Amino acid sequence: MIETESLVHRYGDGAAVDGVSLTIDDGEAVAVVGANGSGKTTLVRHFDALLEPDEGSVRVDGRDVTDDPVYARTRVGMVFQNSRDQFVAGTVGADVAFGPENLGLDRSEIDRRTEAALEAVDMAGRGDERIDRLSGGEQARVALAGALAMEPDHLVLDEPLAGLDRSARESVLGHLDALAAEGTGLVVVTHDLRDLVETVDRVVGLVDGRVVLDEPTSAALDRLDEVGVRDPRC
Amino acid sequence: MLTYEPGDSLAHGLDPRAKLAVQFGLAVAVFAYPTARGFAVGGAVALAALAAGRLSPLRVVRTYWAVFLFLAVGPLLGGAALGEPWFRVGPAVESLRSVARVIPVVFVGAVYVRTTPVRETRAAIQRVVPGKVGRLFGVGVGLVFRLFPVVLADLQATRRAVHARAGGRRSLRDRVRRILTRGLQRSFLRADRLALALRARCFAWNPTLPALAFRRRDYATAALGAALAASPLLSLFP
Repeated sequence: MIETESLVHRYGDGAAVDGVSLTIDDGEAVAVVGANGSGKTTLVRHFDALLEPDEGSVRVDGRDVTDDPVYARTRVGMVFQNSRDQFVAGTVGADVAFGPENLGLDRSEIDRRTEAALEAVDMAGRGDERIDRLSGGEQARVALAGALAMEPDHLVLDEPLAGLDRSARESVLGHLDALAAEGTGLVVVTHDLRDLVETVDRVVGLVDGRVVLDEPTSAALDRLDEVGVRDPRC
Repeated sequence: MLTYEPGDSLAHGLDPRAKLAVQFGLAVAVFAYPTARGFAVGGAVALAALAAGRLSPLRVVRTYWAVFLFLAVGPLLGGAALGEPWFRVGPAVESLRSVARVIPVVFVGAVYVRTTPVRETRAAIQRVVPGKVGRLFGVGVGLVFRLFPVVLADLQATRRAVHARAGGRRSLRDRVRRILTRGLQRSFLRADRLALALRARCFAWNPTLPALAFRRRDYATAALGAALAASPLLSLFP
């Protein structure tokens, strides 16, 4: 479970996240929506202890992420907006194995996790391929596999469909649906709900760093204009 | 930019420690013997390494053309004089001999980079250099290998962007200033993003490293490296 309590994060004088209190249960699929600059990315980076709160707190399974960032990062996997920013190795297998290697696991367990993660994103047997020679959709799937190899309870995906063509979007969406069905919690940051309506259970909307919308998806669709997001039914 | 490419060549299958031993030995040997025989041995080792890695020497020259250009300028500068006769052959030849020592090392280094995954290099370094120093060195090498191609690609992208909008009509100084300034900004941005990615993925100073194993051919390769490194000792026995 991810909990934030009165979370505030400031850049200079302005608050990018302003007093956000949220609870995201295990297995829940949540969309965090809002216009550009509304604080979505800043908010979710706190879930992974990549930022430190100016005020308030963030807990994962009851543990404060500031006190135990490694725990937070193993339970909450992060997939960056630009997949290329996430890669720390040149080949698919080396990159996916990077996280488990950092946990100090046995080589056999690292290999098992790497193969399972690649299998989950339909990239099995492609561990030796160079990442920079993959298509954008394939790179997105490798980034997803890198997060999955940590076997997290929650996956945070920052604009996972941005910049992908139709077939790549459908491929990534298919994998997200499968993960949600298996019980992995999803937190999807987006400003476009079109393809995600069927995937998420709940929508959290931000305006100027504040939560102004927190409803089940069906109810949230009628209020998306309040957060500057287009109604996907239109 | 030459980076690791998966493959099944002989060099791909070698343990990185054995490959590093040959590199080290070759560097020692060519610097100890700046003679025709020394160059011949260095050239032979370089050619053998290129064949073992199935890497074309032309590709290495194309990739590292700036290095080769720099090396080529050395003898010209070495021979240049401020007065009559303006160019002296003796110092130029001496400089050429110094430069020639570097060339086989560049070729063998290129083979290493192309055939060795970065994390295996890190593992090799940490096994050869124990303790914190080895960890620091291994991580440093890994980060350089990861960041350098990205930064180079950024510089090339900036250069293309300058030319795409008729930037070629501006002065060389202006273009260089723009490319370097933008390149520096993007380098810091890349470094920042890489740091974020490393944190998000639980970067550890002491991770589980890839298993390395010496096989028969690795012993033979390492023996070659040791022989090259020990070759200067022969001069002690006239």
